[in-house]
Amino acid sequence: MGVARLKKAELYYHKSVHEQIAAVLQESGACQIISTSEETFTPPADIEALIAKTDEKLSDVRYLTRTLTPHYVDPVPALDRMLGERPDVTMTELEELAAKTDLKAVCEKTRETERETGDVRVKLSEARMNVSLLSALSFFPYPLSVITEGTRTVTGLTGTIKAANISGFKAALGDFSKYKDDSELIIAPYDEKAQDVYAAVIYSRAIEPEIREVCAKNGLSLVEIPASLTGTPDEEKEKFTASVSELEAKEAELGRKMAEIAQANVPTVQKLSDYYNSLANRYNGMASSDETASTMLTKFWVPAEKADSLRQSIEAIGTDIELTYSAPAPDEEPPSLLNNGDTVRPFNILTELYSSPKYRGIDPTPLLAPFFWIFFGMCLGDAGYALVVCGTILWVFRKYKKIAPGVKDFIKLFLFCSVSTFIYGVISGSFFGNFIDSFLPPLIPLKNALMLVDPMTNPMQVLGISLLLGVIHLMFGLLIACYDKLRHGEFIDALGNDLSWFLLIVGLCLYGVGLGGMLPPHFIQVGGGMAGLGAVIIFIYAGKGEPNWFKKIINGFLALYGSTSYLGDILSYSRLLALGFGSAVIGMVINLLGGLAADIPYIGWLIAVVVIIGGHIFSIAINILGSFVHPLRLQYVEFFGKFYTGGGEPFTPLTLSQEYVNVRS
Amino acid sequence: MEHLGLSLALFGAALAAALAGIGSAIGIGVAGGAAAGVMTEDPNKFGSCLILQALPGTQGIYGLLIAFFVLNKLGLLGGAGAVALTWNQGLQILASCLPIAVVGWYSAIWQGKTSAASIQMISKKPEAMGKAIILPAMVETYAVLALLTSILMLMGVQVG
Repeated sequence: MGVARLKKAELYYHKSVHEQIAAVLQESGACQIISTSEETFTPPADIEALIAKTDEKLSDVRYLTRTLTPHYVDPVPALDRMLGERPDVTMTELEELAAKTDLKAVCEKTRETERETGDVRVKLSEARMNVSLLSALSFFPYPLSVITEGTRTVTGLTGTIKAANISGFKAALGDFSKYKDDSELIIAPYDEKAQDVYAAVIYSRAIEPEIREVCAKNGLSLVEIPASLTGTPDEEKEKFTASVSELEAKEAELGRKMAEIAQANVPTVQKLSDYYNSLANRYNGMASSDETASTMLTKFWVPAEKADSLRQSIEAIGTDIELTYSAPAPDEEPPSLLNNGDTVRPFNILTELYSSPKYRGIDPTPLLAPFFWIFFGMCLGDAGYALVVCGTILWVFRKYKKIAPGVKDFIKLFLFCSVSTFIYGVISGSFFGNFIDSFLPPLIPLKNALMLVDPMTNPMQVLGISLLLGVIHLMFGLLIACYDKLRHGEFIDALGNDLSWFLLIVGLCLYGVGLGGMLPPHFIQVGGGMAGLGAVIIFIYAGKGEPNWFKKIINGFLALYGSTSYLGDILSYSRLLALGFGSAVIGMVINLLGGLAADIPYIGWLIAVVVIIGGHIFSIAINILGSFVHPLRLQYVEFFGKFYTGGGEPFTPLTLSQEYVNVRS
Repeated sequence: MEHLGLSLALFGAALAAALAGIGSAIGIGVAGGAAAGVMTEDPNKFGSCLILQALPGTQGIYGLLIAFFVLNKLGLLGGAGAVALTWNQGLQILASCLPIAVVGWYSAIWQGKTSAASIQMISKKPEAMGKAIILPAMVETYAVLALLTSILMLMGVQVG
């Protein structure tokens, strides 16, 4: 339970075995290498060479993954893959695969295909542009060589002009009475609303400057025609249309080729990606080792319970090895690894999402687990939804046997919480909302017999329970804070900061409940006494260390005013009622809509079934999100606020990369 | 004037569904913009982005829930026919709808902004998903409290 004890290991070994040592440390998955903080540190040359070699392979693997994956059709669905349906391999198999795979050749083939595809695409876009330009120029009756090459005396230009400017342009060219017969204006068919109209002018070379000036003045923007176009627009267009379809066929062909390369190589590339990433992790981890001429020293943290088995596997490598274990020194801050049993472990993620505890701190996981479990149950609070969640998870566990441990724990969290959801659903009489009342009247007596609370008709009762749970949760937090301070010998702080508030709030609650007549009357005196004592301690503690009497008193009152924050904290638990209510009412609304749909003639029953099933699935999804987030907030803000700050460095051992395959040892 | 009560109550239901729905739509829109931006860089973040984008959507559901609650109370769902309501009772129901209508509207918008910021956060630090979910949830607290207030008020109003 709690934060695992770690040992600091110092491992001295001969350089000849450094690769075996690295492999053993990595495959154990239990060693976090201590990296050096010296700025001038240079890694051992042997390891730097290995890193460089691996990086080269990795860059090929990354290139192939990036280029080929979009063309790869994975035969395994993504969800199955996430749930562990991936190839099982050993590092030895991967090593053999790496040795016989010619990555360079695959890269070469891929690059070649990629380059050809690029060339074809450039040509294709050029051809398409020409086709659209030539379609626009189809009004031009002569071969385009008149414009692109010209004859000895005649040349031409094309451009676009606004329809509104055309008449002005015509007039301006016509005004050149002197040159009237030396130019010809040809305009594409257009209608008055057209924005840009194509126009071509053919003219004698002698008057080129004047013609260009007239064109510029009248807003003709020139369109360049590629010099390679010499035939009439229609002839040229036909040529390019043919070439477009030819190029498209070639592009498709290259796409198929790429897909073939992907299909043939991606599975191997994925395996090698994990292999070389594992090696890169390994060597980068080992790069913090110290060296002498012929030995190396690697320091790492290892969980105490794994120390002995690790020693055995290391000593099996050879005799030139010295491994010493020592407890962490008081001034050292080792990483923290949560070590909880099967029941609590799924809740680890909740602590880790916030922040890992310090190595010598308290692990809040077992403390928050029961509360999270209850709160989640109250928020989702429906026996039917619980059965759906539980059934789905059990089916997943039956079907998928290779789920990664972290994912499995997270799913288990919901499996556990479905139990509390079921219990609360039964005692609050919610089964798919009010499904029983709406559609299964014979079961109503059974439902009512099991009901202990009824949020629908008596919400104040559930509100009271929610707030009471809140008080218990908060007080528990205060007691933990108190215990933590006592552990470190801070008696005064424990009394003034935590115990005093505990007395005040518990006292006030007893007092109130006593006044309400729910407990015997002497609880009024007991409660009052506790609250008074608590208030006095808070008042005195707040003035501690303040020499000025006036300020002492002010500080005391300010501290007592802090009780409003406790009021806010407690009221925050009313969300347990609200969210439970929310899921029940959404369920009710869905059943109501289903019932209304059932009245539609002939197909009503079908619509009703669709509405009810679809609606409840939606309701489960949206309510699980809320039931996860809000209880979590109660842990993080209200509960952790009393005693927990985290701030520990999570234990990150040297491990194998398992992005695409499961690596067995 | 005999239907004034019913009209007031319906106006309340309309406000609850409409304002809270508008708020959620804006909030989800704001968060969705941020999510799309992050996904152009890394499409694999779709799952986490979608969860964060969905968070400001609950206000709309709370509004709908209250609207249904009112319709049910008025007997407008199913064939039973509307209950008779004085204008005073109608006004009481209208008042009961206001907490979720107004708070749902505003809190969803601000929750959407926080979600958008959280989405930006996970684009740089995907491992901070837990924290990224909690920040928008802090805003939602007030929508939950408003929902609770509306429900308790509605339960207190006597009709029929």
